[in-house]
Amino acid sequence: MKTLTDLKKIREKAQEEMKLRGGNVRMKIVVGMGTSGIAMGAREVMKTFLEEISARNLTDVLVTQTGEKGLSSMEPVVDLIEEGKPKITYGNMTPERVKKIVVEHIVNGRIVSDYVVATGN
Amino acid sequence: MQDISLHLLDIIENSVRAEAKLVKIRIINDASENLLRLIIEDDGIGMDAATLDEAQNPFYTSKVERVKKVGLGIPLFKQNAELSGGEFNITSEPGYGTVLRADFELDHIDRMPLGNLKDTLLGSIIGHQEVDYAINLIFRERGMEQTFHFDAAAIKEELGEIPLTYPDVIEYIEQSLIEGIQNTNMEDV
Repeated sequence: MKTLTDLKKIREKAQEEMKLRGGNVRMKIVVGMGTSGIAMGAREVMKTFLEEISARNLTDVLVTQTGEKGLSSMEPVVDLIEEGKPKITYGNMTPERVKKIVVEHIVNGRIVSDYVVATGN
Repeated sequence: MQDISLHLLDIIENSVRAEAKLVKIRIINDASENLLRLIIEDDGIGMDAATLDEAQNPFYTSKVERVKKVGLGIPLFKQNAELSGGEFNITSEPGYGTVLRADFELDHIDRMPLGNLKDTLLGSIIGHQEVDYAINLIFRERGMEQTFHFDAAAIKEELGEIPLTYPDVIEYIEQSLIEGIQNTNMEDV
């Protein structure tokens, strides 16, 4: 069973790490979770981001869900927001594409232009 | 939507858009009553009678940014409940919140599966850190009862400033949900 004691340990570990590198969020990932996004597989897209964050131990990114964005024909849709840079919107996402974007864009900073459907605000 | 937990995800997103701070989710699998029941309760902005009526109409949506005012989320959920001999109803009070209840006949041939409940809950809990979730899973069979309770607020309190997207926290929440779902026999419903 998972207990609150386990959480205390996680907290202590995370606090140590934050002391070393600061608690900054480098990048925000926003997964579109409107009705059409859900019907097109947005839940699996969200799940794959969470898996990758966990597996690669990415402690400086934040993932959130959001509603419809009016890009229904390109669902599932994901925004990557980094401070001081234009917002990148990826469309027609699949778990495989998520894995590629995590490696290329989030870890190595290279935009995967094949999957980009919009840029800027 | 291929399963009930995708409908649940859609309803949670509605609650978040209605500015809910707390979403209570209760799922009851009652074999002796042949019933699968979902109750989703939020403390969001609520709806007046006219809006509530329209929300159940496929040619309506509350999403203002949408040009086509068509929303299929609630009507499809309702249809799927009613197709499996169940019932669907929503009550709402402007300024107080909304309660949605969907009943399914457990052994009805047209009932969709519950599906991947774990991924629906995990994504919503972590993807909306601003919202607290109180989740109750209840399994009943021949006078026996198994329950699982998950309280997102208690976890956040314990974590302090550590975000839920911290890798070990994701794993912790996922493991808790897997255990709870297994203990209440909600895996292959």
